[in-house]
Amino acid sequence: MNQKMKLLIASALTSLAMLSPAVAENMLRVSYSEDPKTADGQMTTDSYTLPLNIFDRLVESETTAPGESALVPGLAEKWEVSEDGLTYTFHLRQGVKFHDGAVLTADDVVYTFDRMLNPATKALNTDILTFIAGAQDRLDGKADSVSGLKALDDQTVQITLAQPYAAFLALLAAPGASIYNRAFTEAAGDQFGLTPETTNGTGPFILRDYTLNDSQMLEANEDYWRGRAKVDRLLIRVVTDAETLRMLFESDEIDVFDLDYAPTQTPYFYGSDQWKDLIRSGPRVGIYYYNINQAKKPFDDPRVRKAFQMAIDRQTILDKNFYGKGALENGVMPRGLTCYAEAAPIEYNPAKAKELLAEAGYPDGVEIKLQQAANWSPRWSDMNQIIQAQIAEAGFKAQIVTTDEAAFMAARKVGETDNYTQVWSADFNDPDNFFYTFFSESGSKSRAYNNNDPEVFADIERARGMTDQAERCKLYQDLTTRIVDQDAAWVPLFSLDHSYVVQPRVKNFVVPWNGWSDMNYYNVEVE
Amino acid sequence: MLMFALRRILVSIPVLIGITLILFIMLNVVPGDPIALMMKEHGSPEVIERVRAQMHLDDPLITRYLRFLWDALHGDLGTSIKLNRPVTDLILKAFPNTLMLAVCAALVSWLIGIPIGILSAVRRDTFLDRFCMGFSLLGVSMPIFWSALLLQYVFAMKLKLLPVSGFYGWRYMVLPALVLGWSSAGVISRLTRSSLLEVMRLDYIRTARAKGLGEAGVITRHALKNALIPVVTIMAIQVAGLLSGAVITEAIFSIPGVGRITVNAISSRDMPLLQGAVLFATVLVILGNLVADILYSVLDPRIRAQMKKEA
Amino acid sequence: MTDMSDIAAPEALEEASFLRDTLRTFSRNRMAMIGLIFVVTLVLAAAFAPWISPHDPYRVALDEQLLPASTTYWLGTDNFGRDVLTRILYGARISLVVGIVPSLISLAIGTVLGILSGYLGGRTDFVVMRLADMMIAFPSLLLAMVVMYTLGANLLNIFFALALVGWASVARVVRAQTLALREKEFIEAARANGTSRSRIMFGHIFPNVIPTLIVLFSLSIPEAIMWESSLSFLGVGVQPPEASWGLLVAKGKEYMFQAPAVAIAPGVAILLTVMAFNFIGDGLRDALDPSMKD
Repeated sequence: MNQKMKLLIASALTSLAMLSPAVAENMLRVSYSEDPKTADGQMTTDSYTLPLNIFDRLVESETTAPGESALVPGLAEKWEVSEDGLTYTFHLRQGVKFHDGAVLTADDVVYTFDRMLNPATKALNTDILTFIAGAQDRLDGKADSVSGLKALDDQTVQITLAQPYAAFLALLAAPGASIYNRAFTEAAGDQFGLTPETTNGTGPFILRDYTLNDSQMLEANEDYWRGRAKVDRLLIRVVTDAETLRMLFESDEIDVFDLDYAPTQTPYFYGSDQWKDLIRSGPRVGIYYYNINQAKKPFDDPRVRKAFQMAIDRQTILDKNFYGKGALENGVMPRGLTCYAEAAPIEYNPAKAKELLAEAGYPDGVEIKLQQAANWSPRWSDMNQIIQAQIAEAGFKAQIVTTDEAAFMAARKVGETDNYTQVWSADFNDPDNFFYTFFSESGSKSRAYNNNDPEVFADIERARGMTDQAERCKLYQDLTTRIVDQDAAWVPLFSLDHSYVVQPRVKNFVVPWNGWSDMNYYNVEVE
Repeated sequence: MLMFALRRILVSIPVLIGITLILFIMLNVVPGDPIALMMKEHGSPEVIERVRAQMHLDDPLITRYLRFLWDALHGDLGTSIKLNRPVTDLILKAFPNTLMLAVCAALVSWLIGIPIGILSAVRRDTFLDRFCMGFSLLGVSMPIFWSALLLQYVFAMKLKLLPVSGFYGWRYMVLPALVLGWSSAGVISRLTRSSLLEVMRLDYIRTARAKGLGEAGVITRHALKNALIPVVTIMAIQVAGLLSGAVITEAIFSIPGVGRITVNAISSRDMPLLQGAVLFATVLVILGNLVADILYSVLDPRIRAQMKKEA
Repeated sequence: MTDMSDIAAPEALEEASFLRDTLRTFSRNRMAMIGLIFVVTLVLAAAFAPWISPHDPYRVALDEQLLPASTTYWLGTDNFGRDVLTRILYGARISLVVGIVPSLISLAIGTVLGILSGYLGGRTDFVVMRLADMMIAFPSLLLAMVVMYTLGANLLNIFFALALVGWASVARVVRAQTLALREKEFIEAARANGTSRSRIMFGHIFPNVIPTLIVLFSLSIPEAIMWESSLSFLGVGVQPPEASWGLLVAKGKEYMFQAPAVAIAPGVAILLTVMAFNFIGDGLRDALDPSMKD
């Protein structure tokens, strides 16, 4: 007890003695609204800033222009893909060092991917690697290694897929595919990525301090193979409250203000003489949509779904609720995604929607439900209230149902939620990430679309293995027409720009191609 | 005295077990999946299913509860599902911050509450009395997040006297302590007032007055000493109460305390963490009450006698 | 944390004179009277909101977002172009209901259990008091949050959560009074007459706890309003488009820098109402508690 008391007092004192993070030379100060929980990208599906800055991947997706990206060599200097699209051979860069001084070898890569698929790891990001031959057996505990993973020599890794998968390279650029060091990571066990002492990567920054729910401090890696980062230190603070965050920014305690956390402040910053030239904005490869559950009456009728599409005045929502910072979307793929093409515009026409409802047997309108989760960001309940008012004109008498998020998830898993609105941003730059998620056989049910169209299911499976990119894109564009235009199974709303405001001393801040808040700060400079 | 403390502790054990059981049932019989919540929009059903099984979340309720109890008895509160760290560690690291906030807030509430209470009692039923009581009520009558926002805006953003938020030194503590402390100053001032009024009716004060001592002398030299007994004893309870009441203050001022952890645990259905945090908070409340009772008995001889009888 | 245990119960006083005394003392307390007038006005305004306000509280008019105060919109409009004052008027209905209903429930439960516990003693007493200990030891806001998160955020569950949080302290106070009353002569006499236990408890003891209950009631209303505002801030209180004051503040906070009235006005409404109820409670306590009279 006495010992514990001493410990408590000691840590209380240290927390008070900690230095204030006021302006230090050459330190970039950013913030996120939630603690990232871990630097281990295998163990998280939503906080990628630490993995992106502390680790590297075999392949990286580089932002080439606003909303555009290219796959560039990372830890793999070059690679070859076999004719049949099944075998990938990666040649690793020479002399890349981990933060602890160890040299990267092909065995580390094999270890990293095997670790993800090892059931004992309990990894969350396994979807990245399930295409590798033998991955499923490893996940199911039926094998002790993954048959498709081989180190040919110290610098060469060969990965064999069970079936061709066109987006495999794009997947390897995802933060979850970060490369670890075998010896270090094995020793760290399940503590890997949780503390500075148990974190080790090859990336531009080294984790120096991690205080849960408060901050993480990263320091530039002097020996980084691409050359040292431009800033000396990177401070990542956890700030939950949006108004507090804005005050922190205006008091110059934060360098980058992510408007995603406080969208209501958009007009202020765009209208302010002090800040308007310091806004950095870029498109986001993500789509706001309205889900339609065909298992719920009256949405089993395509005419009702069509009417629902037409009854929402998307432009007004975009203009008034999101201050016009974005563009309407009419397909499944948002702008910026590989294979994106303009889709047939969806018209806003409440009168016609009303007619369609009458045709479907609801001349006096129809009662429907819209669902939302209580602890979602207020953005969603705001949108629902607006949409509820808009669609009333066409005859939809909508009731908004609010449940707890956990209950929502449980109901959705079995395909039983009412229509809801959400956003999906690309995990990796490939249409499969959208189509498979929403309209594959498993996705259609577990995301409560119940769009049970066997042809769509088959096409989505087929597209995954196609190697001719032009043909593949054509298929996705046809699928878009079928799903959105013909079957009206999905209501695309819009994609938004992602805006940040930066302090004048921040230079070279580029919004990442996918528009994520999680990004790599390697190129950012601070004066 | 020792017997009394021991008895109180023994009585608290079923209370603790009851609380963990209620929590366990409440969070487990309703649908809700910590893994699905952790993966947010990006979870695929297959992965969720598999990780659930790997974490033994599919074991029967009673098995999991007994396992929890058994481990807790050995000082092991388990591992947080979402944060993947030992619960005991998480709480012990966060606790000093919350304790600091609670103690500072308590100090603020005494600094505001006690003088106001005395002033009100002395000027009983005057305009000053009403005004003072009104002022101390102000703090209780404002939603904490609202008053916090106003104070941040005025003192940090406009006047630039204090930092907006964070936890890096005493200057960072001022606003949160003020917000939280003010919110419980009302209780202290009312207690001081009523207790002082009561004492002043007692015989020995009348005697002191009769001796010709001035009113100020009567109060400072005689009445106050006894009047503050209940105030002192409530302090222990108050600190315990503030510890758990810090939830919102911590969220707004980005203080990495126990409250943040708990809110997180509830919303993410992180059972082990929530159990640990609530157990911890509850133990504090029980301890606070115990300390209060003991203090009371030490300060007030009449109670000491009664305690002996009870034990 | 209100110090209620020191209220002495009026024994079997002559009711008429007791009532007269109480009213006189209460009406002499200026703050309490102001509080009462405020609350009565508020209740009337909330009840007749549709007749008072010309605006629709649920209308969405995106081209009238966040307007400043004007003669049409006295306190301006919110992010949906809704009249802030009208929202506050309608919000009063929900906030008052959220204040009153759970208080009544917890009062009812607390009274029954408190009297049973105090009068019967023994095992009943032990069980009830341990249950109460549990509730009091369990941090209130967390308990309410757990209920809201597990059962879902709606008005009914808010009643349940707040009643669950509130009954225990009522039970303790009532038990303490019952213990004191049990030894009084008129109860002894009733017992000697062979009056049944339930009749003694609810026919004789209950009427004597009523004054305390009234005070507790007036003090627990503002408490419930505050709890609900905290829940709203955490996202598990009343759900939009319905709005309690707590939710109005929590939501309005987002627009604090563009249109401060959206957050400040409902905050002031909470402030005034909570203070008014507290003044009434204090006034009642002074009036009903003979020991506080000179």
